[in-house]
Amino acid sequence: MTAKNIFLVRITAAMIAAGMLIIIAMVGFSYWMLERTGQATEEVLATREIRGAMLDLFSVLQDAETGQRGYLLTSEARYLGPYKEAAEKVDVGFKRLTEVLKRRNNNDDFLERLRGAIDTKLAELSETVELAKAGRRDEAMAIVRSNRGKEVMDQIRGLVVDKRATVEQRLNSAVASQRENASILQWTIIGGGILIVLAGAGAGWAVAGYTREVVQARSQVEALNAGLELRVQERTADLERANEEVQRFAYIVSHDLRAPLVNVMGFTAELNTALEPLRALTSDPSVAELPSAADARTSVETDIPEAISFIQASTKKMDALINAILKLSREGRRTLNPEFIDLGALFNGISASVQHQLVDSGGELVVEGTLPTIVGDRLALEQVFGNLVDNAVKYQAQGRAPVIRVRSRAGGPGAIFIDVEDNGRGIGPADHERVFDLFRRAGVQDKPGEGIGLAHVRALVRRMGGDITLTSALGKGTTFQVKLPRNLRTVSERSGELKG
Amino acid sequence: MSSKGNPVAIVMIEDDEGHARLIERNIRRAGVNNELKPFTNGTAALEFLLGPDGSGEVSAGKHLLVLLDLNLPDMTGISILDKIKSNQHTRRSPVIVLTTTDDAREIQRCYDLGANVYITKPVDYENFANAIRQLGLFFAVMQVPETQ
Repeated sequence: MTAKNIFLVRITAAMIAAGMLIIIAMVGFSYWMLERTGQATEEVLATREIRGAMLDLFSVLQDAETGQRGYLLTSEARYLGPYKEAAEKVDVGFKRLTEVLKRRNNNDDFLERLRGAIDTKLAELSETVELAKAGRRDEAMAIVRSNRGKEVMDQIRGLVVDKRATVEQRLNSAVASQRENASILQWTIIGGGILIVLAGAGAGWAVAGYTREVVQARSQVEALNAGLELRVQERTADLERANEEVQRFAYIVSHDLRAPLVNVMGFTAELNTALEPLRALTSDPSVAELPSAADARTSVETDIPEAISFIQASTKKMDALINAILKLSREGRRTLNPEFIDLGALFNGISASVQHQLVDSGGELVVEGTLPTIVGDRLALEQVFGNLVDNAVKYQAQGRAPVIRVRSRAGGPGAIFIDVEDNGRGIGPADHERVFDLFRRAGVQDKPGEGIGLAHVRALVRRMGGDITLTSALGKGTTFQVKLPRNLRTVSERSGELKG
Repeated sequence: MSSKGNPVAIVMIEDDEGHARLIERNIRRAGVNNELKPFTNGTAALEFLLGPDGSGEVSAGKHLLVLLDLNLPDMTGISILDKIKSNQHTRRSPVIVLTTTDDAREIQRCYDLGANVYITKPVDYENFANAIRQLGLFFAVMQVPETQ
């Protein structure tokens, strides 16, 4: 990851974190505002209660006064009922007002002053009523006329009105502060919303940038991959061309080498034919008398035939070598034909073909376990394993019955190993690699052969996408490990075509 | 080799003079005494067979048998075969391909183009000589049509 990518990731994380913080702050602030609003609402309710309580109290006092006045005017007892009722209600109303004000933590002297005024008023009312009851109506009227009762009533009214103004002022300030709070909340929400949108946009921008970079990087990787694949294809094609050229070269060379060889052989034979008349001449008794006859005779009957026989032996050998090259190149050009092959059955066939040789020397070929079925080229596999088994029989140790063991084991993904083990004469460490070279042989050269068998085997195995190695101990035996693909078709598809 | 009284000429197109000589000797040994015209390259052989103008009229009325090697320095034997077999004057002349190539596709192509016989030169001289001698014996009884 580049420094820029780390920066982008950090920016994105920071933006998201900022958005989260803003949301948390807004939630907290809203909760706080809700609390404040609740308080304000309580204030409103309390104010209304205080107002109601004061109004009730005042109206009860007025009722009491009205009853008093009615009784004083008419002296009828029915006005005493409302008066008494009202006078009793005053205490209840005062008690309620006291409670309501206590809830509002009222701590001024309003209540004491109001109580004093109410008590004065009630005392005035009770005094006049008692005087009237006692028949001293004029005295009572004199008290009323003294205007004392009205003054007290006015005092009470003034107290209530003042208190109402104070309470309403408090209510107004609470409402104002709530309005203020609402507006703060509004702005907070708007501001927070804008910040969240900004943070989201920032995060989105960072993510978009990062995504764009990722997409760019991926397309670059894809382009590189495509290029790589193209290069691999080109290299493969080059290799195949080179391989084909080598094969063609081997083919052409072997053909072109053959032509002069035919001449060498042909004219050597012609020389042999031409020697006949010379031989007849030198053995002619009349020629034998000549001084150079003895030398000529030696030449014709010993030297020249000897030279010719060497030439012929050499050309035969060269012919065999050229044939070997030709065979290899032809094998290399042969198209492989993938098919299902039961290796067990294949080894049964090979075993049958060497059966008489094995029986002659008391040996055996043992297939250990069951061999798998693979997809391969029948002819190539027959040649590979036939050659290995032939070699095992051919190079058996002196005085030891040849035992050839064949087994299979896993060889990694899509491959298997077939081991061909013998107890033959073995191959010295110096020759482990050499035996796979063309025209190279190991050990005592007491068996016929040109040294092409293992070279051929290795070429075939490699063409099938496998490999062959050996482990060997001189005098103890050799194990060839043949690694083969389980499916020749996949190998062929990978290399593009079946023919090399 | 007979041709109702007219002598058959053997046109041998073979770049290897040693091979040419060996072929000639072995044919002669088989008792074939027909005229033998050796060519070591395709250009000269085609000029003889089809004439300088390439029309093939020079070969009209002749009895020809062509012994053809495929590996020539200046052109492939296949193109010579193609020219001989597609020319109306020479197309009936028997062509015997005698070459070292034993590639199956090459053999098929030669027969497709109208080769009469395809012989792979044995590398072994004994076999080579034997094959040529047998070819000579074959020539001795072979009928060669007149070219048109």
